[in-house]
Amino acid sequence: MSAQIQGRYHGKGEPLFWLYIKTALLTMVKLGIYRFWAKTRIRKYIWSATSANEDSFEYTGTGLEKFLGFLVAIVILAIYLGIVQMVLFFAGLNLFMDPETASGADIVRQVAAIYITLFAVMPLLLFAQYRARRYKMARTRWRGIRFGMENAAWGYVWRAIGHYFLTLITLGILAPRASFYLEKYMTDRTWYGDARFEQDGKWTALYPAMKHLFIGAGFIIVGVALAALFEAIVAAILLSIVGYIWMIVGAVYYRVQAFNYLTAHKVLDDKIGFYSEVKTSTVIFTYIVGILIIGAVSSIAFTALFVVGFVGAFVTGMSFEASLSGSMVGAVALAIFGVVGYIAILLTLGALSLVIIVQPIIAHLVDGVQVHGAEHLDDITQRSADLGADAEGFADALDIGGAI
Amino acid sequence: MREVGRYYDGATGQRLTVDLELTDAGVMRLLHAELEEGVQEWPYDQMRALQDQARDDQLVLSLSAQRSDDSGLIDTVRLTVVGQALIRDIKALCPDLDKRDVARGTGFKVVTRLGMAVVAFCMMIFVILPALANTFASIIPIEREVAYGKSVVRNMERIFGGSNAGDLTCSSPKGDAAIAQMLARLTSRTKTEYDLNIAVMDHEMVNAFAAPGGQIVLMRGLIEQAESADEVAAVLAHEIAHVETRDPTRGALRAAGTAGLLSMVVGDFTGGGVALAMAQWVLDASYTREAEAQADLYAREMLGRADVSTAGMARFFDSLDGLKGEMPDLPIYLSSHPDSLERGEDARAFAQDQGTTTPVITDREWTELRAICE
Repeated sequence: MSAQIQGRYHGKGEPLFWLYIKTALLTMVKLGIYRFWAKTRIRKYIWSATSANEDSFEYTGTGLEKFLGFLVAIVILAIYLGIVQMVLFFAGLNLFMDPETASGADIVRQVAAIYITLFAVMPLLLFAQYRARRYKMARTRWRGIRFGMENAAWGYVWRAIGHYFLTLITLGILAPRASFYLEKYMTDRTWYGDARFEQDGKWTALYPAMKHLFIGAGFIIVGVALAALFEAIVAAILLSIVGYIWMIVGAVYYRVQAFNYLTAHKVLDDKIGFYSEVKTSTVIFTYIVGILIIGAVSSIAFTALFVVGFVGAFVTGMSFEASLSGSMVGAVALAIFGVVGYIAILLTLGALSLVIIVQPIIAHLVDGVQVHGAEHLDDITQRSADLGADAEGFADALDIGGAI
Repeated sequence: MREVGRYYDGATGQRLTVDLELTDAGVMRLLHAELEEGVQEWPYDQMRALQDQARDDQLVLSLSAQRSDDSGLIDTVRLTVVGQALIRDIKALCPDLDKRDVARGTGFKVVTRLGMAVVAFCMMIFVILPALANTFASIIPIEREVAYGKSVVRNMERIFGGSNAGDLTCSSPKGDAAIAQMLARLTSRTKTEYDLNIAVMDHEMVNAFAAPGGQIVLMRGLIEQAESADEVAAVLAHEIAHVETRDPTRGALRAAGTAGLLSMVVGDFTGGGVALAMAQWVLDASYTREAEAQADLYAREMLGRADVSTAGMARFFDSLDGLKGEMPDLPIYLSSHPDSLERGEDARAFAQDQGTTTPVITDREWTELRAICE
């Protein structure tokens, strides 16, 4: 008989909305420095809303350690990026051709020279990505037991570069191989207390999840073929549009199905299994409805701001010329109104996207996860704390990681 | 009063449902057969609740600790209590539930780390990267610099609205001859390392700029603003100074090095864009201020050697200062430059010590130069 645990998400929209507004305002007032505390507080909320078997998760990170980690990271990044970017730019300069005599190939090289600096950041982005996940794991607890990940970020960087390169030169056909092995690399180095996770399964099993991407690509290929062979431009454009949208939805489908598969094939301590039933339709529906609401709110709010500002200017008899010729008080008041209104709208939109898109998708994800063999969880004992984590300072400095 | 709570000892994942007793002796008692001696006493003033929790139907409690391996200063034990009445009672009894304990020496640590980061970052931006840019700018082959400079001018033209190369370039046989004459006069007694390539761009902005490799662009607005050819010559001499000292190349290299460094510090928050733009502006101004003063000095000497009065230069700076209030698009020229009035004074002082001077080009040539965009 195996005990089963169901994930449950308890978070609500309103408190998270106000938490976001409050922390975003503090961030603004404190010139951006509070952003580490802001992110930490939002995480604490979301972690604590996630529970399994009535026990909530806990996020033990602090804003202070994130700030300190960031201070270290920006120094290292400033040195690395400053020097590498300048050297690459200098190397790029040597590829510059006189624009009057440049051939097509020269221009391609020139463009490449400009974009080559991007490659300087690439390994760092991957490094930061692994470290950020490791930090979050190290600061997550359930039943008082810590999660953790091994210190293996550089191994991840080289593997990821190799996998992405393979994916690129095979035009995305080997994408499942990349997602599977990179997830396996991270999962196999993840611990809950003294118990290790393991990623089972086969990368080829992810191909069914790719089906809508292939269908979308098929539409585009047929469209291009039609254009090339029969000059049927209208049909070609229509097919390409259909194919493009199909591929976007297909990409979401792939991510969701891959998540389900990879979760279902994770094993903890050889005994504890997982199951996930995230639905693509729910994710896409949440996303589209959210975008529509945010779009509507923003257009109404900005129109209202503009109208009120305009009427205000009219009523007080101020015009732009008037403000220049000396009656400054009204103009200043109006400008303050405009700036405050603008910031209020931006904050509201940010909070809305967290509350009506991000949180519902997390809730759906959490609610769809089950744990099998949960009776073995009682045997797991604590792991020692991770002290060496840089508190994802690199991820913060490079601004990756998104909303949470 | 007896209640229960879910207890985790922080060492194992085992849940103990403990009995709770809120005593009058300033402690809460946790009772369970598997606890050491069957009981734990939690002093009310040591109890801490986790912050920013999503659920208000439960309270997760811990104890303050002297030191902790984790980030917060609390013990690894956790006690979750459920029920509004119990939560209210605990909140009433425990004075420091929401207190955040800070480890000794935290302030010192923050200050030292912050200081080190600021020093290292400033070293990078103000010392190391400029030095590196200097080195690179001096070793780049001239023909590469010229090729790069041409593409910079081309891009500039695109930004000002020319869709094809040369769209905005003004040219007339007599106007070109006037510019050539002005250039010949300026460089007659001052050798230049670069082949200078001067173009007039059809744009109303009162501005001029030097791109790498001897490319100099004068805007139509500047020629119209000038009252005499000497004023244009002064600007031209200033831009030649930039070309000769490789300032544009150095600037481009430095920009490549510092790209993104500031935005890394400022981060991405509402209002961050404004902060970033201001920081960038201050940084640029601090980089170029000295280079501008050097270029003015070079220009004064170049004009002096060519027997052209720097009174024109003084007049031009005076008129720039007058323009500052009315024309919103002026700051591009002014922002990184020293104060116009001061520059005007320097030029005036220089002019007083000059011997006999003649206009840089004849009046007829000046009329033709003014008509170059027609």
